[in-house]
Amino acid sequence: MNDRKIRVLMSKPGIDGHWRGGIVVSRAIRDAGMELVFGGFQNVQQIVESAIQEDVDVIGLSIHSGAHFAYTQQVIDLLKERGVIDNIMILVGGVIPAKDFTQLKEMGVANVYGPGSRTSDIVEFIRQNVKK
Amino acid sequence: MFDKEYLEKVKSEKEKWEELYKSSRERDVKFVTDSEIPIKQLYTPLDIKDKDYLSDISFPGLAPYTRGVYPSMYRGRLWTMRLFSGHGTPEETNKRWKFLYENGETGFSAAVDALTFNGIDPTNQDGAPEVGTSGVPLYCIDSLFALTEDIPIDKISVALVVEPFTSAPVCSMYFNMAKMRGYDIKQLMGTTQNDILTMTVGYIPYKNCPPNHILRLACDFIEWTVAQKNTPLWHPINFTGYNYREGGIDAVQELAFVFASACSHIDNLIERGWKADDFVGRLAFHLAAHKDFFEEIAKFRAARRIWYKLMKDKYEVKNPKNLGFRFHVQTAGSSLTAQSPKINIVRTAIQALEANLGGCQSLHTNSYDEAICLPSEEAALVALRTQQVISDESRIHNTIDPLAGSYFIEWLTDEVEDRVWKYIDKIQKVGAIDKALSSGFLYKEMRDAFHRRRMKLENGDEIMLGVNKYPVPYDTVTDVFRTNKEAIGIEVRRIEKLKARRDNAKLEKILDKLRNVCEKEENVMPVVMEATKEGATIGEVCNIYREIWGTWDPPLAI
Repeated sequence: MNDRKIRVLMSKPGIDGHWRGGIVVSRAIRDAGMELVFGGFQNVQQIVESAIQEDVDVIGLSIHSGAHFAYTQQVIDLLKERGVIDNIMILVGGVIPAKDFTQLKEMGVANVYGPGSRTSDIVEFIRQNVKK
Repeated sequence: MFDKEYLEKVKSEKEKWEELYKSSRERDVKFVTDSEIPIKQLYTPLDIKDKDYLSDISFPGLAPYTRGVYPSMYRGRLWTMRLFSGHGTPEETNKRWKFLYENGETGFSAAVDALTFNGIDPTNQDGAPEVGTSGVPLYCIDSLFALTEDIPIDKISVALVVEPFTSAPVCSMYFNMAKMRGYDIKQLMGTTQNDILTMTVGYIPYKNCPPNHILRLACDFIEWTVAQKNTPLWHPINFTGYNYREGGIDAVQELAFVFASACSHIDNLIERGWKADDFVGRLAFHLAAHKDFFEEIAKFRAARRIWYKLMKDKYEVKNPKNLGFRFHVQTAGSSLTAQSPKINIVRTAIQALEANLGGCQSLHTNSYDEAICLPSEEAALVALRTQQVISDESRIHNTIDPLAGSYFIEWLTDEVEDRVWKYIDKIQKVGAIDKALSSGFLYKEMRDAFHRRRMKLENGDEIMLGVNKYPVPYDTVTDVFRTNKEAIGIEVRRIEKLKARRDNAKLEKILDKLRNVCEKEENVMPVVMEATKEGATIGEVCNIYREIWGTWDPPLAI
């Protein structure tokens, strides 16, 4: 156990402007004493680039556009290509049907948070499962 | 409204009752509205003793319009049933629109995708996976032909839900399409949302221009359509409190945001040399019907009175037709849950009733699958039928504004009104609406409001059944409506076909003219009309805005 703070990149892949969920979770992460890197709108290359440069432990993808499979797959593929997939935990949140959770997890997402999720659960999950 | 002696009698009887009340139990909950207005145990004539029926409440269709904007209200004509709808491709959306029309829908509303919102063509890699996923893609004039095929757009009104950054290209495509189909655009009925706050604080913009330019684009559109009478029956703007209310602000803030924004637009047009009477009669509004039943009804009634006073006193509007506050309502998406989604039908029905008892002109009811996906056909039909149960079965429309005269409703209408005036002052102290945006003021207000609501949900002051009371797992039973995966290919081909057909040299000249107009800050509408007629895409027009005015990252507050 080292005392380095957990670092979380919160990113909004694509161009959809439903940002409220991402902002709320960002605030909860910051309030929980973690290091927040707020990416805002980022394309897949920018997400992976800032994840590497900022040396984050977690990437949070906030997706409300219905395009969660496409963006998540692209991020995972590029993380693999850059050889950093094993160091980083991926979380996905947004308006995502519960029926899609299993497939997202099979793709390599650690957990998925749909509408009505509690921010405290997200923070707790990160603390328990972050890859050290 | 009551004589003094009688009120004294009521007062002494009330004191007796208060003694009785004190001896009985009160549940351990906060009796406040959603906007934190404290609510008394009981309202009596004493609470409205200073009101004057004729000057404060009056008659429907007469100042101050508290009871409704038209003399006969729903006895004359029901509200327009207008479901916000769009997905996949224009052809698929056309099919859904016809389905709803055949089932009794009386107005259309185009929900566009994220690319259309942001003025991005589908060939742009950043947004490509989102083509048609959250609304209908409308990237060029051919899309508008497909969207409205076989629909009598001279008889039914169409709302184009695009914001100032893309209202000129998308609406000019619509107007040009209508002209080519042989319609007189002076007769066209419809609405453009064209709301600066939707695309800044309600929804975060992707590579749009700075707020001062967005405000000007919104006003260009109002000027061209209504003031210059190119499409005089069109509603050129729909101040959409709904969208920022969904972001967490309360009922009082919702109205204040809307009115502060409306004032900035009116001021801009007056600076251009127009009189308020030249255009304010076509300004429209889009409000939320949220969870607090009576507060929402009071809000709608207060809104009409505030608007009347603003128009009459601040802008010295002369024509009585220009004093009425006309509004569309949407039931609250953020009140719905992905847990036990069928309960959403009940929530939506109650909220629709608020809108009707509040005298709306047009109504969207949410689908029960709203918190999970875009509406399925089945869910959209249930939403439409919910309105029809009210219109055709409930008989609540036998009389106009049936809640008027209720001690509580009249008191609450006054209370909401007072608080809205104070909050309008607070915003206006920061400056015009573009300044309130660029300074970050509105973002901070949004953040604080949402945080408060979040805390209320976490500590149980606000209940969401299935989430923080009687919690159940996220629903996996409801069918998930999926948008067309082929949409991206279809839309890219649509644009390729158009580009092969159009006169590129001619279009280049028009786009150069647009550069020039943007540099001089003249009204963009005439040139954008020319450009989209010649086949300019939404991205081609918006890229010129970006090139000349630059892009803007909003001062998001976390």
